[in-house]
Amino acid sequence: MRLLFLVLVLLGGCETVQPWERGTLARPEMQLDSDPLETTLMEQVYESKEAASGGNGAAGAGCGCN
Amino acid sequence: MKHKSSTVAALTGAAMSLPAFAATQPAESTISVSLSQYHEADIPSDKVVVGSNERYDIEVGKFKLVTPIGADWSLTVDTTRETMSGASPWGTLYGTTGEPNLIMSGATISESRTSLAISSTRYTDKASYTLGVSKSEENDYKATSYQVSGEWDREDKLSTFALAFSYSSDELSPTDAVLYGRVPEANQRSRSISGSWTQVLNKNAVLQSGISLTKKDGYLSDPYKLLDVRPDEKTQWAVSLRYRHFYDNRNAALHLDYRYYDDDWGIDSHTIDLSWHQNLGVRFQLVPRIRIYSQAEASFFEAADDYSLPRDQPQSSDYRLSGYGALSVGLKAIYKLPAWTVSLSVDQYRSDERFGHNKSQYEHPALLDFTLTNLGLEYRF
Amino acid sequence: MQLRYIRFKAMGCPCEIRFFHHDDAEAERLADICLTEIRRLEAKYSRYLPASVTNQINDAAGCDPVMIDPETSALLDYAHTCFNQSDGLFDVTSGVLRHLWHDGLLDTPPPSEFEKWLAIVGWQKVRRTATSIALPLAGMEIDFGGVVKEYAADATLALLSQEGVRDCLVNLGGDIAVLGRLANGQPWEVGITHPELPGQVIASIQVGSGAITTSGSYERFIRIGDKKFSHLINPVTGIPADNLQSVTVVAPKAIIAGSICTIAMLREQEGALDFLNSTHLPFLSVDKLGTCHGSLQKE
Repeated sequence: MRLLFLVLVLLGGCETVQPWERGTLARPEMQLDSDPLETTLMEQVYESKEAASGGNGAAGAGCGCN
Repeated sequence: MKHKSSTVAALTGAAMSLPAFAATQPAESTISVSLSQYHEADIPSDKVVVGSNERYDIEVGKFKLVTPIGADWSLTVDTTRETMSGASPWGTLYGTTGEPNLIMSGATISESRTSLAISSTRYTDKASYTLGVSKSEENDYKATSYQVSGEWDREDKLSTFALAFSYSSDELSPTDAVLYGRVPEANQRSRSISGSWTQVLNKNAVLQSGISLTKKDGYLSDPYKLLDVRPDEKTQWAVSLRYRHFYDNRNAALHLDYRYYDDDWGIDSHTIDLSWHQNLGVRFQLVPRIRIYSQAEASFFEAADDYSLPRDQPQSSDYRLSGYGALSVGLKAIYKLPAWTVSLSVDQYRSDERFGHNKSQYEHPALLDFTLTNLGLEYRF
Repeated sequence: MQLRYIRFKAMGCPCEIRFFHHDDAEAERLADICLTEIRRLEAKYSRYLPASVTNQINDAAGCDPVMIDPETSALLDYAHTCFNQSDGLFDVTSGVLRHLWHDGLLDTPPPSEFEKWLAIVGWQKVRRTATSIALPLAGMEIDFGGVVKEYAADATLALLSQEGVRDCLVNLGGDIAVLGRLANGQPWEVGITHPELPGQVIASIQVGSGAITTSGSYERFIRIGDKKFSHLINPVTGIPADNLQSVTVVAPKAIIAGSICTIAMLREQEGALDFLNSTHLPFLSVDKLGTCHGSLQKE
């Protein structure tokens, strides 16, 4: 419930961003995934060593990681 | 909320139709390569009853190519090769002190895994559609999966909705099956659906919320464990929030991610990822990061293998189904040139039953610590 | 990565382009295409070159409409927006009023002269479609001078950016557009000339991104008796602007910064400051008494 409230509060603060103001959002460090290759590596490591997985996007091919 | 002057807005709107400002991004191809070294810490010898107390060492090499094709398409090719060696837990039993101890395998010889994924994306004015196939192979495991996904931008390009479906079919053929009484061949499959909503909050911040649902069925147990019986079905879901904020005065970006996971095996978990991307001049960036993880134990988790239970009753002493938490701390350094980016990172992961939000009765002896070192290189042309 | 620096004269002013590039041959090629683009715009819109679009339109005043290309149409659309946003003060047809105020004039011209010239001024009188423009009265003139220099700075910057240059500065007679940073990671630094003390700088501004332009009565001015007036003439009264000595504005694009400067210079003192404050853009204004206003002062 608290999570939902937080999301609504953040969404309520939306402003219009003009095309010329997009510069900051386009920065590599502002991307949701700054390093896709590293992200796949980390996801593979954590998914094979922990119980949890998923949450964002589809998971790739599995492996018999033990 | 600061309102931009209507004059400036009007002028800007008019200026945008000037030919000089209709410039588009040059289409770019990217090749990324990474080499990683993963080392798990040895298990304290007092926790091991028999077998090696060394754990896994894995070297991973990755190669990825993303290239535009024509004006509306792009192709992505992703391949991974890893070699691993080391011992893994076979079972758990109560030791003389009344605490669980491990039965470990002997140290294995080198094994390797190769995977290849290919996907293609079609771009339109406000959307993109992707189709992908991937295959992973190692001597005892083959997996094939298919993905289809779509992304849609709203008119103002400030919101994006994404939907993805994936299907995976895996074949297990455990080594030395006859020798150790393991299942000689088994299958499992997984189907999942996920969606996300990305919203630009202002010129310095963006928020993404996502949800995914996965159903697995087939042989879901670990064939290498001496005694491991898991249900032949599993339903799991996860919700996540990812926040990015750029601080102009610090020339740095904050990343904050949270994920909640739950499944019908009784496990739920929280994951928090926090990182600070600090620019140092134009070429350097330093990223300290921390990850906090906590999971509750599965409903059929047993601290030690219980041979008195009926053989078809679910039980597992796999540490990955126990209640524990983990803390990971890392640092990444990035050097950016116009066409190249080099990065080096080190992450140290420690698990401890005390970090768990719903701890198991005993700290599992196989809770692991690892060090992951990663060298990355990207070339844009 | 070497700093490339070219200096030249264009559109009647001293200009310079600075950008960072590692390859000598490529840097030369980029400098060439920048100059080509600036000369193209200069030739296309200059009042002094007979074949220019400006002269084609002005020569047909009082006669038939003239067909115009998309770039000219977009610039005129922009000028139209400026006209509306400035309550008629920013008017590209006001150039003819220069005939009222020639150098060496000792006294204000008689009302009959005012009537004569004001009669052929007024953007509201111009007839426009997406592909044509008609100046209905003989003698009417349009002048792109108020927008083309700033547009050229933006266009040149866009060109360099498209070619992959990440750090550059384009300065066309004080209309400056920047991208990226200096080699040491610091933002580009621009000095604003002191309106009263030639050769001296009144403020040094670090421009992170976008553009900075300055309008002032100290460089181009009309002298009447012993008074200096701005070359910007009020299209409604016919009288040269006599309020702020100089205005500097930072905006995402040079063309926008330039228009805001011009509109501020044409307004009455209090109106000008209100207007500048309402844009929420960083600015620096110097009034007749030498008093400074604006957030850029503190930099």
